[in-house]
Amino acid sequence: MLDVSRVQKELMECNRDKAISGVSIVLHDGGSDLSHLSGTITGPVGTPYEGGTFQIDISLPSGYPFEPPKMQFITKVWHPNISSQNGAICLDILKDQWSPALTLKTALLSLQALLSAPEPDDPQDAVVAQQYLREYPTFVATARYWTEVFAKRTSVGIEEKVQKLVEMGFSEDLVKNTLESVNGDENMALEKLCSG
Amino acid sequence: MADDDDFQSSSDLEGADCYFSDQDDVLEETVLQVLEDGREEDCHWSVSSVITKESLLAAQKEDLRKVMDLLALREQHARTLLIHYRWDVERIFELLEQKGKERLFSEAGVTTIQHKGLDLPDSSDPVECNVCFENVSRSTVTEMDCGHYYCNDCWTEHFIVKINEGQSRRIRCIAPKCNAVCDEAVVRNLVSARHPDIADRFDRFLLESYIEDNNKVKWCPSAPHCGNAIRVEGDIYCEVECACGLQFCFSCLSQAHSPCSCLMWELWTKKCHDESETVNWITVNTKPCPKCHKPVEKNGGCNLVACICGQAFCWLCGGATGRDHTWSSISGHSCGRFKEDQEKRTERARRDLYRYMHYHNRYKAHTDSLKQESNLKETIQGKISISENKESKIKDYAWVTNGLNRLFRSRRVLSYSYPFAFYMFGDELFKDEMTTEERELKQNLFEDQQQQLESNVEKLSMFLEKDFQDFSDDEVMDTMSHVINLSNVVDRLCKQMYQCIENDLLYPLQRATHNIAPYKSKGLERASELSLCWDSDQSMSVKTYPEDSYAQQNLTANGSGATLPGRHSVILHGSSSDESGCSSRKRARTDGLGGAARFDLNMPAEVVDKN
Ligand SMILES: [Zn+2]
Ligand SMILES: [Zn+2]
Ligand SMILES: [Zn+2]
Ligand SMILES: [Zn+2]
Ligand SMILES: [Zn+2]
Ligand SMILES: [Zn+2]
Ligand SMILES: [Zn+2]
Repeated sequence: MLDVSRVQKELMECNRDKAISGVSIVLHDGGSDLSHLSGTITGPVGTPYEGGTFQIDISLPSGYPFEPPKMQFITKVWHPNISSQNGAICLDILKDQWSPALTLKTALLSLQALLSAPEPDDPQDAVVAQQYLREYPTFVATARYWTEVFAKRTSVGIEEKVQKLVEMGFSEDLVKNTLESVNGDENMALEKLCSG
Repeated sequence: MADDDDFQSSSDLEGADCYFSDQDDVLEETVLQVLEDGREEDCHWSVSSVITKESLLAAQKEDLRKVMDLLALREQHARTLLIHYRWDVERIFELLEQKGKERLFSEAGVTTIQHKGLDLPDSSDPVECNVCFENVSRSTVTEMDCGHYYCNDCWTEHFIVKINEGQSRRIRCIAPKCNAVCDEAVVRNLVSARHPDIADRFDRFLLESYIEDNNKVKWCPSAPHCGNAIRVEGDIYCEVECACGLQFCFSCLSQAHSPCSCLMWELWTKKCHDESETVNWITVNTKPCPKCHKPVEKNGGCNLVACICGQAFCWLCGGATGRDHTWSSISGHSCGRFKEDQEKRTERARRDLYRYMHYHNRYKAHTDSLKQESNLKETIQGKISISENKESKIKDYAWVTNGLNRLFRSRRVLSYSYPFAFYMFGDELFKDEMTTEERELKQNLFEDQQQQLESNVEKLSMFLEKDFQDFSDDEVMDTMSHVINLSNVVDRLCKQMYQCIENDLLYPLQRATHNIAPYKSKGLERASELSLCWDSDQSMSVKTYPEDSYAQQNLTANGSGATLPGRHSVILHGSSSDESGCSSRKRARTDGLGGAARFDLNMPAEVVDKN
């Protein structure tokens, strides 16, 4: 049922200019199933997501491209239209505004655009949306922290950082709060913990 | 004795609501009545008609015709427009003035300006389809009115997905952000080439849009579905009777429930359902005798019951009453009245339950009476035939059946007046709308009327239960005059109660709007056959629209009242089959999200058996 030839063309088309577009698609887990893909987008410059690389799980229904692809963030992200729990996305073109003339690449580019311009009035994650509207600076700090912790391949996992600092004798709650306040920078957190 | 009572209450009444002196002649009285009726009908004017499977096409064509003629549109564009504006022809004409043609059309997705040929290259070279990315020959590409083109395979796939999603009525162009609705002829042609069954479904969806996307037309909620829909012109807050015999509230589709508003009725049925699960008292159909405490079952319609020990008591409150002046003591005592006894019940919850039980007991008592009295119908038919065949001057017994029908209607009003009162004078809906004093005043006013109605309904029930077939002519005459008199009194009291509800109780409310379906003295009118009124001006439409052989066949079928199964299956292809009848019922329930609960919610087990 799935239009295999179209999907193959799409993959080729998309990956040809991935260096410029910042989006790419590969088969999920290097498998051979064309209906299960894995997309990658880079965080847009000038946003709290800058510098991050975000993984998106893509599954194509048998009716694709006449039915929209299903997309979900694998990388944890702090954004009003993306669930902080499970990565579910609220975007019209992935629902009723989908058109068979759109492609996976255009969908990923739309996700990138969504990272630049959240729509808090149509939220997926109510908590994040509230914060975005009421305490914008906190929102930016949290989003940046999450990018730092979850979307940077080089960064050490948050659990490890916490573990390390707790072993130095600070309480776990205090460590977590401090880390968050300095957007996950281990050294700054240590400095702060020692001075305060 | 009882007789004095009847006339007492009826003349009391007249004295109270008109300005004439005691010596009014009957004529003035009649004039007043006519004026009253006229006024009532003015503000609650509504006419209902049945749309059967067979007349659906005709009904739809009628509206399509109007729009096509006025706006010089092709049928498919008129349909798109009508679907968008919910088949409200008047609104389309209004908006035409306000917005102008162009905006009116573009908002609905109608493309009348030709964009064709703008995008599609002129040469005969193969073109690339932007969906499958294949190069295809020009002959297998279709361009829509908006100018967007794709290969036929991709269009077909798109249409099928949309039809299966239930979006037949407005299948948009494939191009992102293009608002144009696809040409229905193209959809039909391409889809039927590959899946004739899906093309049939597409046609049926377009046809049924006249019901599904139309505020003035609704499916009859009968289960199993009778296949009919009802169209209402005028006030849509009314109660209607389908050709299948089901009476229902047009606004909320549950059983007829006036003088309750739809919201009150919804809350009430929900409450009854909830309460009956926690408290088992609803199922208790017996009451202990106040003297010997044996359980006594109620078996007549009236609310005076007698135990085998000889004790008579009032079913409503369980209090002992005398046997001699039975109904006068029922009308005299104030068991229909409820006083909140603050001292004894301080707990709020307990008091609420008690209050609910008070209203529910009375509501239940009257619906039970209604059930019992329905059985009376047959018994009374038997009595009438005996009477008609016996040696007597009296041959006309229409007064019995008339009285019985009046009894049913007023009993119905009476039972629904209890949930009404429960919400009207309770805290749930109108807490801040009235001061305590106001509420008390109004409650007294209403309960006065309710009690008068109640006592007269019981009297009417009592007279109708009499074994008049064994009476002498004089006794029959006496019974007849009581029944006729009480019928009039009861009718008048019902009218008065509705007026009180509308003018004195609901009208002054600031924040809430509750529409009550009007009271009809003669009972609900059965919806008329739609095709008949359509026939009259059809001769013209058929002439101007000769290719429409369906309508013509249909016309003949309905005009003659004959059933032409072959033709009907053409008209509503698939609709007459089991599968589709089923799916249309399913859609009626699932389409308006939350509608899934509609039937269940409106018909908790204890209400469902009301008939
Ligand atoms: Zn194609
Ligand atoms: Zn288009
Ligand atoms: Zn029906
Ligand atoms: Zn209703
Ligand atoms: Zn007894
Ligand atoms: Zn009786
Ligand atoms: Zn009583």
